[in-house]
Amino acid sequence: MLKRKHEESSKREHNPYRRRILFFLLLGWALLLLGDRVSELRVYQGALIAIYALAIGSLILLTGYSGQLSLGQGAFMAIGAYAAALTQIYLQPPIIITFISAVVVAALFGAIIGGGAARLSGPYLAGTTLALALGLPTLANLFSFLGGETGLYFDVGIAPERFGSEFTLYKWFFWIAALATLIMLFFIQNILKSRYGRAWKAGRSNPAAAQLVGLHVGRRKVLAFTISAGVAGLAGALLGMVSLVAPSTFTLSLSFAIITGAVLAGLTSLTGSILGGLVLVIIPEIAEMVSGNFGESEAVRANIPGLITSLLLILTVLFTPNGPAEQWHHHKEKKKQKAVEKQKN
Amino acid sequence: MQQVINVFLIGISIGSIYALMSLALVLVWRSTRVVNFAQAGQAIVTTYVAWEVVNRSGSFLMAFIVAVAIGGLIGGLVESGMMRTLFKHASDGPVASVAPVIATLGLLGVIRALVGLIWTNEGKRFESPVSTAGFVIGDTTLPFSRLNLLIICTAAFVMIVFSIVFQRTNLGLALRAAAYNPEIARLSGVKVAMTRTIGWVFAGAAGAVAGILLSPNDSLTPYSLDVLFVFGFVAAVVGGLESLVGAVVGGLVLGVGLSFITFYLGTSLVFPTAFIVLVVVLLVRPSGLFGVKGARSA
Amino acid sequence: MIGSFRKKGLVAASAIVAIAGLALSAVPAQAAEVGVTATSIKIGTTVPLTGIAGPGYAKVAPAMKAYFDYVNANGGINGRKIEFIIKDDRYLPPVSVEKTNELILKDKVFATVGQLGTANNLAINSRVRLGSRGVPSLFVNTGFSGFADKKKFPTLFPLFSSYRMEAKIMGGYIKENFAGKKIGLIYQNDDFGADALKGFESAGVKFDVSIPYVSGTQGAATATTWIQKLAAAKVEVVYIFGVTTATAAAVGVAFAAGYKPQWIFGSVGADATTIVGQTTVPVALLNGALSMSFMPDAADTTDEYVKFFREVNTTYNNNATFDNNIMAGMNGAMMVAQALKAAGPNPTRKGLIAAIESKGSTFASAGYPPIGFSATSRVGYTGFWIGKYNQTGSLIPVEAKGTIYTTDSANGPVVKTTSKRPALPTKGLPN
Repeated sequence: MLKRKHEESSKREHNPYRRRILFFLLLGWALLLLGDRVSELRVYQGALIAIYALAIGSLILLTGYSGQLSLGQGAFMAIGAYAAALTQIYLQPPIIITFISAVVVAALFGAIIGGGAARLSGPYLAGTTLALALGLPTLANLFSFLGGETGLYFDVGIAPERFGSEFTLYKWFFWIAALATLIMLFFIQNILKSRYGRAWKAGRSNPAAAQLVGLHVGRRKVLAFTISAGVAGLAGALLGMVSLVAPSTFTLSLSFAIITGAVLAGLTSLTGSILGGLVLVIIPEIAEMVSGNFGESEAVRANIPGLITSLLLILTVLFTPNGPAEQWHHHKEKKKQKAVEKQKN
Repeated sequence: MQQVINVFLIGISIGSIYALMSLALVLVWRSTRVVNFAQAGQAIVTTYVAWEVVNRSGSFLMAFIVAVAIGGLIGGLVESGMMRTLFKHASDGPVASVAPVIATLGLLGVIRALVGLIWTNEGKRFESPVSTAGFVIGDTTLPFSRLNLLIICTAAFVMIVFSIVFQRTNLGLALRAAAYNPEIARLSGVKVAMTRTIGWVFAGAAGAVAGILLSPNDSLTPYSLDVLFVFGFVAAVVGGLESLVGAVVGGLVLGVGLSFITFYLGTSLVFPTAFIVLVVVLLVRPSGLFGVKGARSA
Repeated sequence: MIGSFRKKGLVAASAIVAIAGLALSAVPAQAAEVGVTATSIKIGTTVPLTGIAGPGYAKVAPAMKAYFDYVNANGGINGRKIEFIIKDDRYLPPVSVEKTNELILKDKVFATVGQLGTANNLAINSRVRLGSRGVPSLFVNTGFSGFADKKKFPTLFPLFSSYRMEAKIMGGYIKENFAGKKIGLIYQNDDFGADALKGFESAGVKFDVSIPYVSGTQGAATATTWIQKLAAAKVEVVYIFGVTTATAAAVGVAFAAGYKPQWIFGSVGADATTIVGQTTVPVALLNGALSMSFMPDAADTTDEYVKFFREVNTTYNNNATFDNNIMAGMNGAMMVAQALKAAGPNPTRKGLIAAIESKGSTFASAGYPPIGFSATSRVGYTGFWIGKYNQTGSLIPVEAKGTIYTTDSANGPVVKTTSKRPALPTKGLPN
């Protein structure tokens, strides 16, 4: 009797897993087709969307599922990017290895910093990670092998010849970024559905109770921090591939942008991360259209995107603190419940 | 030896600015348990206003008074306009603990964008009200200037005013009581909601002073006070985040320490050092040098 | 179960939105050449308008635009109006890359012109791969000698005499005139500074105190440490090989500290208006400072080019304070206009590059030294003249006007010669 129940539940676990695989494969296939049909500008933006989505995913993992807010994702992205670039420059391994090294090194730093940070909460952690985001990139100027302000080039080369001469550089970047992001998001989603994920959630909503039932909240927090840093490191390496590995790539504004994306996507829903990435790329486009109506002023062009995103950030946290997406579901759920109740009556 | 004294004095000068920012953060923390990430943003507005006043009237004193008044006003408006709504809507749920951080970050972004729209992102030169040339003793010129002296005196004046308000007035008593235990304060007739707003008003004013003191003889941009915020935060944490005295001491210690590092080891070590100080304090003595134990889990 | 369905719905929704966003625009049909229509030709640049290097350099691109406006008012190039797009990169290489992507992918410019900064141009060429895309990058505002490498940068044409040439020529002057004195150097610690160090090495100059600085840190605080080091070592001659904001910071702090060495300003950071505008230093204090240039001085109104550029500045540039930055911008724009004209009535990117290779050395420009463009060489101006600032901040030649020193960016000799600059074309327009 008990055994059957167990089998049943494992079956239930098994099903969504397969569906998830299928979904990610379909999404990947759709992106592949899409990449062939749009201009190079759009694949370039597509690569950026994927990279932001991944970075946002790393923050959602941390905040949405372990209750910690890091303002320093940009710093972990920088660590990943420098690790990838240095590996590439000094060892010239296959490209995949450079990305793995980005994940490993960033995760390592995450574990070290997370070891301390796990003892902090709320604003303390936010302030400390803010100092990290502001301070870490300046280290690049201390050691000459980090290339100073000029930065390093993380060169993954052009697409293999068999893809044809029409295969543009940014399409190649898009392929790499999209693939890495899909694999990583799939991996994160599986963690979150695992017992670790459930333990994180428990630790977030009620640390004392979680401690009582024997969950080691502190250790799990460090683990969440470590994984999050590793994922951010990969996003950083991808950004370094498209842009430059330099202090001014990984600014405070980047960290803030990622937080914005995560908040707008809803801090608790990983799947919203793609939406968040899209928002981050689209807002400047919209802003450009808006500022076009105000003439050719540099001040307007430079500040409208910031104004829009920041206003959205405030409005979101004031009125739909769990993110618009989540709010929407909440709303739908309530409706459904009402409908069910009506039927009962 | 003379060099050492010089570096020390310059450290005190910059440290007293950090102390003011740190004071602002502590005032807000004591009143509402929020670290206001927009504190430097609020100071940016008042500093630009001060720049405008100096340009139009030529009077630094008037600029100073206007900046402080507007700083207080903005502080009050942010608390009563934004933070109260926030506490009402986002008091529970998974993001309750991070909602204030996000909201104040958003406010920082809005302020920067508005300042950029009004005054453009191009650096503005904020002329110093007094000479920035070093004092001359005999035939050597010191790096310590009249501006440094003015900064120290102004900061000291503001701190004295604050300590009189807090220690000698009924308002100060109410503020301290509300920070120490809101429930008991409420029972004994203190209008706690009011003290919260006043805390933000004082913080806004202190931040405005920090901004206007940091900017002379330098380029003013919508981003130029980021660093001030971070050092103010480090100073506040060193001081324990609860203690006004701790905030001031933390600021001065940080200022002097970083001054020595700048002179003897180079500017590129300033940030890493501040970060290491922050982490070490948080790990070794999480309640800061002046804080109450166990405060960190709040 | 309901939970996972609902998640799936959201995933699908976000995926659809993502795909829709990407598909907003399909590939447009290719015209004859990117950025060229029957009535217009689109070009763009990335320069600092704001940020640490903004003061001074922010005037370069608007000055270029002013000259193009002047050309457009006089009929344009082969009947086409020049459409010039300016993007602010804040002197940050990653931003230069981002903005160049916009210029090429979104605005679809025919060519990029006058991008400013060594690290910025290196980043643009390495990351956006202007070379393999075939996008011309004309008369960039940097003197890094490495850009003359045609193999590495097949579409790039640097115009400035290189930092390496500058260091070699001024190095020789220092050896001759300041023998036995203590000499100090402040330089930007990147490829820009490294290029100069190579030049000093081939000139055989040694510095007693050598201070590298990181781009972005040049402010009063950092400059205080420079001046302390220099003053403590009793350095008598200080060579500043940095951007204008670095020169301004150093001179301002030294003035406040009462430190008065013989200054030598590298050509990049020598604009007197900017230095004085950024500090409390009275302009008379620059009196006696040495510098070098390949252009006439902005205050030299007897020069026909200066006179012409000043006229354009009055009508088309809101009469901005005329200085070396504006002159450099207009001079570069004048070269661009001639190159576009030389590319013929149906310009292509390849044709543009070929035209500069064949005719570029004969283009009229304000620069005194000869231009070295050819099928095999990408070297722009090849030398400098040496000058001293006077009481009003004008750079006055130390020798007869027109005396220049030419050399190369390797170990070739420094040759003293007289400028044979082409005369200003009629109305300052390409002919």
